[in-house]
Amino acid sequence: MANRSEFPLGAILLMAAGVLALLVIIGTSIWLANASALLTAEVTDARRTRTTASEVLETLLNAETSQRGYLLSDSPRYLRPYNEAVQTITRDLAALDLLERGNPVARPLIVQLGKVVEAKMAELRQTIALAQAGKRDEALAVVRTDQGINSMDAARGVLQQIIGNAEQTVNADMAQLGANTSLLRLVTVVGGVVVVLFGIAAMWIVFGAIRQSTEAREQVQELNLTLEDRVLRRTAALTRANDEIQRFAYIVSHDLRAPLVNIMGFTSELEVGTKSLNSFFQDGDEAARGPARDAALEIVPEAVKFIRSSTGKMDRLINAILKLSREGRRELAPEKVDLNGVFETLAASLQHQIAETQTTLKLSENLPTIVSDRLAVEQVFGNLLDNALKYLQPGRPGDILVASENARGAVIVTVKDNGRGIAQNDLERVFELFRRAGRQDRPGEGIGLAHVRAMVRRLGGDITVMSELGVGSQFRVILPRTLPSDTGNTA
Amino acid sequence: MSPNSVGLPVVIVMVEDDEGHATLIERNIRRAGVNNQIVPFRNGTDALDFLMGEDGTGRDHAGSSLLVLLDLNLPDMTGVDILTKIKGNTHLKRSPVVVLTTTDDQREIQRCYDLGANVYITKPVDYEGFANAIRQLGLFFSVMQVPTTE
Repeated sequence: MANRSEFPLGAILLMAAGVLALLVIIGTSIWLANASALLTAEVTDARRTRTTASEVLETLLNAETSQRGYLLSDSPRYLRPYNEAVQTITRDLAALDLLERGNPVARPLIVQLGKVVEAKMAELRQTIALAQAGKRDEALAVVRTDQGINSMDAARGVLQQIIGNAEQTVNADMAQLGANTSLLRLVTVVGGVVVVLFGIAAMWIVFGAIRQSTEAREQVQELNLTLEDRVLRRTAALTRANDEIQRFAYIVSHDLRAPLVNIMGFTSELEVGTKSLNSFFQDGDEAARGPARDAALEIVPEAVKFIRSSTGKMDRLINAILKLSREGRRELAPEKVDLNGVFETLAASLQHQIAETQTTLKLSENLPTIVSDRLAVEQVFGNLLDNALKYLQPGRPGDILVASENARGAVIVTVKDNGRGIAQNDLERVFELFRRAGRQDRPGEGIGLAHVRAMVRRLGGDITVMSELGVGSQFRVILPRTLPSDTGNTA
Repeated sequence: MSPNSVGLPVVIVMVEDDEGHATLIERNIRRAGVNNQIVPFRNGTDALDFLMGEDGTGRDHAGSSLLVLLDLNLPDMTGVDILTKIKGNTHLKRSPVVVLTTTDDQREIQRCYDLGANVYITKPVDYEGFANAIRQLGLFFSVMQVPTTE
């Protein structure tokens, strides 16, 4: 539950990507704005070039008109536009020169324009000067050379080229400006979308992390809440296990002591008998004949018989304890155990007893599959079926039913018989080691159910019994669906 | 033990699952000079069948005198069950019951006396003590008055 990712790396990367996208948008915008400013300046210049060029043409025409008027009327009034034109044209040419200084295409045209205009102005100046000097005929002769009109045509041509160029520049730049605007809009929209997407993704990741940490916190709280409960349950289980161990130790010491007292007691009896024999055979005491006879025929053989049976009993008890102890230490191997299969195998192995007692063994069809230790499960239910067959009510055909029900995280398997039953007082006793209940007409050491309970508890479950004397018994085995990993050796 | 009012001798009912113990107990009681009839039972079911008689009421023993020597650890039930039944039975309730067992648990002893046990004796672990205790019990029997069962 180590949750260092309050702010996960993914979110940081996404947010960084979003910031990057934002920077790209800003950079592109600045670049486009600069480009547009340059273009706008260019457009302005081109427009001024166009205007100025038109003005030059108009001025030239005015100057020519002024010359014609003067030559016709000889009135100086007509010279005013010409005089103005001289000034205007010089200023306009200078302006054009300045505007198109950096333009390699327009530059030669401007130079050419300067020459053509100079030629035209020279023709005008010459004719006007001649006319002012009274040599009108000479002036008209100059006009008739067509030098003036040619210069005018040349000037018009050059100016039209300049205007055309400026027109083109304006159109191209305007188109470029439009394209720039579209591009800017596109970049802004796409970038905006990207930023929003990155933002959403980053928020999603952050919210995910927050949700995870919230869940983790809730889990911790829940664990804290249930901790006490679990401690109580564990403590109860430990107390129960401890009580069982004490009970077990008591039973073992008592049951082992009983044959020991016999051995010691009959050893003393042997001594008594030996004394009788000694006093008769060694001392030749005739009065001891009777007791010696008793000793030889009764006391000694009886003592030997009891000593032998007692040692045999001790041996069996110790073996039983060893078996329980071995079973308690055996490593449990959890695997999938199909209870249907388990009971079918058991039924097959008990076929002989089933047939002999005319018993009907009914297995519920949908017994579950659990994860547990196969050997232990087989031994548990083998013992229960064995007992059910062993303690049937005499004269009544057996009827054994195996069924199952679901519990939370566990299954409950019931083995129900119509046997002789167990008295209410003995319901707990049947599970105790070396203890048996009811009429002692069947062989047994009182180990089976003690073993069963130890195994069931080791498998993380429990076993209970309900019974009615003379009617039948029902054993309920609760087993976890999956063998818990922390099952201790409480057996 | 002296015969009862109708002249019948006292019968000792011994409930002891261990045959060796039963033999040793009987032998040591005899050595104390007690010659009464001893009826041994190896388990609680048989003992109760005898005590309660054919009809299960205990009336069969009316007029006779019984003394019960009872082990608590029996294979099929606990001696406490038998004690309860004897002391709860109209006919048998006055018959002395001597609990003779290995348990020295205080609660168990109290429980037996609460249920009406007359004597509680813990079997000594060593044989000398065991034999001695039984012999003294036999001596005690010889001076004891046992009422007639009604």
